Amino acid sequence: MEILVCVKQVPDDSVKIGLNSSGQPAVDGVTMVANAFDTYALEMAARLKEANEGTITVVAVGPEKAKDALKSCLAVGASKAYLVSEEGLGDMDSLTTGYVLSKAVAKIEELNGAKFDIVFCGKESTDCTTGMVGPVLAERLGVGCVTGIVDISIKDGGISVKQETEDGYNVVETALPAVVTVNKPEYDPRYPTMKSKMAARKIPIDTITAADLGVEADKTVPAVKVTGLSEPPKKQAGVKINEKTFEDTMAKAMEILKEAKVF
Amino acid sequence: MENCIFVVMETADGAVKNVGFEMLTPAKEIAAAKNLKTVAVLIGSGLDDAAKAAGNYGADAVITVDDNAYKAYASDEYAAVLAALAEKYQPEAIFIGATPNGKDLAPRVAAKLGAGCASDVTAMKLNNEGKIAFTCPVFGGTILAENVVESCPVMATVRGGAFKKAEPEERSVEVVCEAEISPEAEDIKTKIVDAVKEISEAVNLEDADVIVAGGRGMGSAENFALVKELADLLGGVVGATRAPIESGWISRAHQIGQSGKIVAPKLYIACGISGATQHVTGMVGSDYIVAINKDEDAPIFDVANVGIVGNVMQVIPEMIEEIKKMRA
Amino acid sequence: MGYILSEEGSELVATVRDFCEKEVKEQCREFDASGEFPADIVRMGAEMGLSALEVPEQYGGTGIDAVTCAAICEEMARADAGFYTTMSASGLALRPVLIAGSEEQKKWACDVLLEGGQAAFGLTEPMAGSDSSNTKTTADKDGDEYVLNGRKCFITNGGIADFYTIFAMTNKAKGIRGISAFIVPKGTPGLSVGNHENKMGIRTSNTTDVVMEDMRIPQSALLGREGMGFMIAMKTLDMSRAYVGAGAVGIAQRAIDESARYAKQRVTFGSPISGHQAIQFMLADMAIKTETARAMVVQAVQRQEMGLSYATESAIAKCYAGDIAVQVALDAIQILGGYGYSREYPVEKLLRDAKIFQIYEGTNQIQRMVIAKSVLKGK
Repeated sequence: MEILVCVKQVPDDSVKIGLNSSGQPAVDGVTMVANAFDTYALEMAARLKEANEGTITVVAVGPEKAKDALKSCLAVGASKAYLVSEEGLGDMDSLTTGYVLSKAVAKIEELNGAKFDIVFCGKESTDCTTGMVGPVLAERLGVGCVTGIVDISIKDGGISVKQETEDGYNVVETALPAVVTVNKPEYDPRYPTMKSKMAARKIPIDTITAADLGVEADKTVPAVKVTGLSEPPKKQAGVKINEKTFEDTMAKAMEILKEAKVF
Repeated sequence: MENCIFVVMETADGAVKNVGFEMLTPAKEIAAAKNLKTVAVLIGSGLDDAAKAAGNYGADAVITVDDNAYKAYASDEYAAVLAALAEKYQPEAIFIGATPNGKDLAPRVAAKLGAGCASDVTAMKLNNEGKIAFTCPVFGGTILAENVVESCPVMATVRGGAFKKAEPEERSVEVVCEAEISPEAEDIKTKIVDAVKEISEAVNLEDADVIVAGGRGMGSAENFALVKELADLLGGVVGATRAPIESGWISRAHQIGQSGKIVAPKLYIACGISGATQHVTGMVGSDYIVAINKDEDAPIFDVANVGIVGNVMQVIPEMIEEIKKMRA
Repeated sequence: MGYILSEEGSELVATVRDFCEKEVKEQCREFDASGEFPADIVRMGAEMGLSALEVPEQYGGTGIDAVTCAAICEEMARADAGFYTTMSASGLALRPVLIAGSEEQKKWACDVLLEGGQAAFGLTEPMAGSDSSNTKTTADKDGDEYVLNGRKCFITNGGIADFYTIFAMTNKAKGIRGISAFIVPKGTPGLSVGNHENKMGIRTSNTTDVVMEDMRIPQSALLGREGMGFMIAMKTLDMSRAYVGAGAVGIAQRAIDESARYAKQRVTFGSPISGHQAIQFMLADMAIKTETARAMVVQAVQRQEMGLSYATESAIAKCYAGDIAVQVALDAIQILGGYGYSREYPVEKLLRDAKIFQIYEGTNQIQRMVIAKSVLKGK
């Protein structure tokens, strides 16, 4: 089983990110991490690999620094990693990213000497949350796609997946190759071990350039343009009640709430 | 039906989901300014009532693709049908509700059409160049990006609750039944072999006037019952952050926040909720927020009108008593 | 400030910190209160290899350098000193095997830890703490077996270990030279575990009596030769001592972190208390002590790694770090005032946790004896 996991490096999503003085997202000093949903995808892939054998390759599109995210993936289940350098690709949207990834899939298949059976993506990235890249990639590859899955197993040479729906779940089957996007499963991603972390450092991460991929220039022009960034209007903080005794706190709180006709 | 905006309406058991009606409001404004028609697109089964309702809520015309095969949402079929409709009618814009199904459908269609798609739109207006400027929350909603889509059609997924639906009026509009359009065999690559309903309760967080929500700080399933008790007393609906859902205290249908529902009730009571961005994004639009948390530094207090520093297990029962007394 | 680490070392330490922040720090506060053993957290830590840091590279270990190892110990203790104690106790139990064991014994013991198992070091007895010559546990030769009888107490990981290194008298007449060391797998007939100790601090670690009643073990369980036990135990403690210092530094660092955080938020007389010189001086003194202790730990572990003499330096590192951890934790309580005394806040736990670092793995009085001896020898 040849598995590819697409990974995006994003700012740590537990940090609140506003705009800096020049009106850009204030990501300086924020730790960059592998997108949480991508780590769920990698964990699901790793479990599938452990149950069925195979290898996991990870790929990211981004700057040189995104190799850090790939390196972290190499310590928790992936055995090969490639960075598609964003250099020369300009601004990207979900559509162009999906296109570039589809070219990367072909290139990596050539480098690995094997076709991928399953491509895993996170359901969405925690920074842009479009959730589009996976399905777009599937369309570009012309293969089946199931989004928001929480479980996967091999069945009759294809896959059977559990897809979360609003009121339960679907069991969906598709032939391989296929693209799946992963929602938070019941389990958490594993932590690297001291040994896997050290071993991951020794695996080289090759950089693939846009030229290597042979991308067509007109297909990397984003249709979605960002024309402005702003912060949502701040909600005025109200009163915080913390009196010496519980009784006083409650009395004051109830008084204010009655006054405001809340109850 | 040249020069139109598609508003794709998701149905469940023949009824249109609210976001479908809501999207008609901005679509009609833009259509009016650009001299376009607003066309509701319905894919499903047994759509007569839904088509009628779409007209009543303001659609200029309705296209239905009505077949038993489309009874439940299926990614491949719906994407192929919608892309075919778009090819046929060449709409200038396609709006799709940002529901789980909508967010599955939109990128498939966008890729087929080579169209750009703005995601999770919470506001839209025409800019100076006559293009639609979409407001899309990024970084968990702490930053709002203004996006312009430079493709034809322009696509967008629209968040539920972001726009107000119109008052329905009895109207009769053109309904086109597209019986001929159907997916090609090669379009169908996945098969839903079973659809399991786990959540039977109807939880209508979006339309609730009062929401009482609990977080990790409730501590246990037994304690979480207090949240329900308070909600029942206030005639409200129970909400939750991810932690209680993952702990199995309450079902996923109650989740509020980035990966759940976006709500804006008149009153929101946050119990034992610390106020992580992912949750706050989903409830900060509420008119009046009361927060109860024992940690006086909890970020939830930054958005609360009234913050009560205290143990939820003491505060909620006391609050329930007081409300009962007031009403007695 | 802190350690000067290689890029690899920094990554490993960051990995441990991430794990401790997410899985250990807050969770262990609850286990501290309940006194329950955090089995899942310990399992995860062991799976990461945190109880196998001492396993040498040739037996499948990581072969990480001494300073990285110290920094990892500090990170664990910074989150929860009980968790650190559990993880490091396995390494402590492994050392006698590495010092005196056969290839077969070494391989077996290392594999146990690499597979996520735990181990316990069984030296202390009710009447033999600092004074090992008073060891009452006996190991009598019977054919090609030893029969052990006796009771060990205050044994970290006593109830959860997969193997024990047990010290027992093979020849009472010889005093400490009559002590021998054995490696005993769990489940050996005659081996039983007593009650879990209800402790003041490091409450998330498992501490029990280990009882041997006519426990028969084969001759192959002997580590080294008969009579080598005391030497093995002392060498083990010499080697691990500096890392115990690193654990104590972790507690002190946590006390500083919590104090600084609080001081910046808490307002009195119109300004945050961090603006008051009285608090600033306290914080500065806490940092002076902590950084000094850390530097001593580094000195000791590096000497050991370089093959230089290190016993005195290790004693100084352990003794000083243990002492200052208690002082710094006390200062943290003072800075937090009434809140510092409250169990709702995390610093009173630091004091309870810190105290054991003046007691276990050689009391600080014993350390001072070691240090004084070296001073008087003019070394």
